[in-house]
Amino acid sequence: MAPITVFQARKIITMDPNCPEATHVAVRDGRILAVGGAGCADQWGDVVHDHSLADAVLMPGMVEGHAHMMAGAMWKFAYAGFHDRMDPQGKWWRGKPDIATVVRDLTDYAQSLPEDQPLIGWGLDPIFFTGERLSRAHLDQISTTRPIAIMFSNFHLMCVNSAALAQAGYDHATNVEGVVKGPDGAPTGELQEMAAMFPVMRRLGMDFRGLSQTEAAIESYGAVCMRAGVTTVTDLYSQMEDADLAILRQVTARASYPTRLVPVLGVAGADPETAAARAQALARQGTDKLRLGAVKLMTDGSIQGWTARVKWPGYVGGQPNGIWNMAPDEIRRMVATMQAAGVQMHIHVNGDEASEVAIDAIEQAARHSPWPGARHVLQHCQMMGPDQFARCAELGICTNIFANHIWYFGDQHAALTIGEDRAKRMDALRAALDAGVHAAIHSDAPVTPLGPLFTAWCAVNRQTMSGRVLGGAQCVSVAEALHAITLGAAYTLKMDGEVGSIEAGKFADFAILGEDPLAVPAQALKDVPVLGTVLAGQVHLA
Amino acid sequence: MSVLPRLPLTVIGGYLGAGKTTLLNRLLSEPHGQKIMVMVNDFGAINIDAALIAQADGDTISLTNGCVCCTMGNDLFMALGDALDRRPRPDHLVIEASGIADPAKIAMAARAEPDMAYGGIAVVVDGQNWPKLADDPLIGAQMRGQVQVADVLLVSKTGGMVPPSLAVRLAALSRAPLMDLADLPQVAPVLLGGVAPAPQPGALPGGMAAHPAYVGWSHQGAEQFERRTLEALLAARPAGIYRLKGHVLSPDGALEVHVVGPTVDIKPAQSDSTRMVAIGLASQINRETIAAWWASAAA
Repeated sequence: MAPITVFQARKIITMDPNCPEATHVAVRDGRILAVGGAGCADQWGDVVHDHSLADAVLMPGMVEGHAHMMAGAMWKFAYAGFHDRMDPQGKWWRGKPDIATVVRDLTDYAQSLPEDQPLIGWGLDPIFFTGERLSRAHLDQISTTRPIAIMFSNFHLMCVNSAALAQAGYDHATNVEGVVKGPDGAPTGELQEMAAMFPVMRRLGMDFRGLSQTEAAIESYGAVCMRAGVTTVTDLYSQMEDADLAILRQVTARASYPTRLVPVLGVAGADPETAAARAQALARQGTDKLRLGAVKLMTDGSIQGWTARVKWPGYVGGQPNGIWNMAPDEIRRMVATMQAAGVQMHIHVNGDEASEVAIDAIEQAARHSPWPGARHVLQHCQMMGPDQFARCAELGICTNIFANHIWYFGDQHAALTIGEDRAKRMDALRAALDAGVHAAIHSDAPVTPLGPLFTAWCAVNRQTMSGRVLGGAQCVSVAEALHAITLGAAYTLKMDGEVGSIEAGKFADFAILGEDPLAVPAQALKDVPVLGTVLAGQVHLA
Repeated sequence: MSVLPRLPLTVIGGYLGAGKTTLLNRLLSEPHGQKIMVMVNDFGAINIDAALIAQADGDTISLTNGCVCCTMGNDLFMALGDALDRRPRPDHLVIEASGIADPAKIAMAARAEPDMAYGGIAVVVDGQNWPKLADDPLIGAQMRGQVQVADVLLVSKTGGMVPPSLAVRLAALSRAPLMDLADLPQVAPVLLGGVAPAPQPGALPGGMAAHPAYVGWSHQGAEQFERRTLEALLAARPAGIYRLKGHVLSPDGALEVHVVGPTVDIKPAQSDSTRMVAIGLASQINRETIAAWWASAAA
């Protein structure tokens, strides 16, 4: 008989209504055997008591239903973002509130690089800077010989120095859309969109695919998750070629790998039949720590990039309505094919017109191929109102809501994108729950940092960076938010029978916390320390 | 400056069902003599004559005429990098944009990337359904946007004639030459322009000039132009030239010129002479007009 370990904790939040609180949890074969007091597993045989977590609070390992694997490997580049941020090794990198700090910190960083290596940075978001725009003149202060490229947090823009411009052959004579020029006719260093960034990325070796398919990338993603208390995480637009699958299986199989990984196959632009067959073939190759078989569809762009498809009255600045990355016809065809094939879909929808098209497509597909247990998931759902949530409830559609946007971009949404009225009701977890929709909340890391307790804080407090509360009527309780980052998210991945709560039969996946998130003030939820995780009964300390 | 010749990129745009794949099938089977690499999202509708297929594995189909057709996966720009790194480098890269995509976002890479040459944007317009699509409240703006960025408009499913109302609408959006696909005896001259490392004076490469529907002009000389003068000359080119390319000597080093429809792209190059080739439709232009235009500037 396999040994039974009984972990003692200061408090265990189980998310199981039959036993909401406990002090001990017994683990055998990587699964939860019993929950309760010190003697909870005595009826099962001899136990070994583990007191190493006795001072900690345990809760179910958190589930991040929308993130991307590059959240780990981005750290091989220099962090240039506005907010303080922790790397996979647990080191905090200071946020850069202005251009002078960007230059100063990156100058320090450059000291650590070999002479012949380019300096690549990421995470810069000029929406937070006032005044001057970052240009090659600033980056030339760091070096005039070493090529430098700083990718912005939206991945649509970058700024490079003169050495990088020279490598790409950009100068006065360049006449390329996206190569921004100053009043003197010379490139400023800002490059917009992939076509203009491509020559620089190619020459500096900025390989974004390599950020999600290498062993190192998978490992560092696991480390990021562990430090955030996450034990089940998605990679929500995976390319997954056959060779990638082999590496994913190999790395996740290691006992030392701290996370269950759910890569979701990106299918935008693919032939629906081929993509469905590929998803079905992948589904058969999953393991306990690698779940496969779902697909991701795109629809519109982003609200803060004014590329989301929004309904009347559109954008406050009069910007034209956004763009479709998959045409509604393609969405309908893909949805119909996946529904008929029994493939679960995650559908990116930012604007309310995009969510409407997605809901319509699912409703139509469900008439032809009824599938009550499909649990298709709308992702982001930023502008959905009670009407659309009601339809989701009717159709069994789940919603994974981008709660982090409230803090990071809420002020901008009210002032610059969709205006005060709709900003107040955006990312409406309250409305979703009231409509009876299965809902999760997410970070979309690396777009915002991975950290479900922070995400829960956003849904509870709805506070923006300026400190205001954006739409207090949509606030939820701490308990509801904790449900959303555990069982709620697990439900969207069809893993609620295995993870998301601490109860007998499920995987022994826990988050180890320094404080009780149900006891601290709601404002302090984001500050609850994450000490590590337990995955399948194995302790991983940060 | 790279040693390899630049890789020209042509992007095919147009909505689902407009006829992009039919066009690619035509291109791959024509006797253009070039090793083309065609990149598509998936092989779904590609229907290459089995006799032409030399080898097929996973994401690549190799043809007996030296062309390859491959899927680009989810990351188009990674695929672009792979195409550039391929040895031997293809003579021409043709990318089929997805139905809703803005083809300019892809084609702009050819203007930005020093190792690529601009081969233009050909947008296939569905002669029957386009007006309805262009008025669609959801996708109309993107449909009109594709036409606005086109260098060449190829109308499909016309049944013999481009409807005048469609031609008027398209002309209001775009200065690009408009062609009825059914009228084109070959599509390679329109999509590729006929590329050769060293064009022979008086003849078009690839034997394309032999077809009476097309007019070819070529010129070799030693004349030099300042960049600005050249730009002005190109801006004043006769209507009816839909492709013009070559090297032009300049006081600051040679320049490589690619003109497709309304778009002019100029990059630095190495050359010891001025060499230009132009192509147009015989129904719209003749060789003398082109020659006279160039001679007026050289004088």
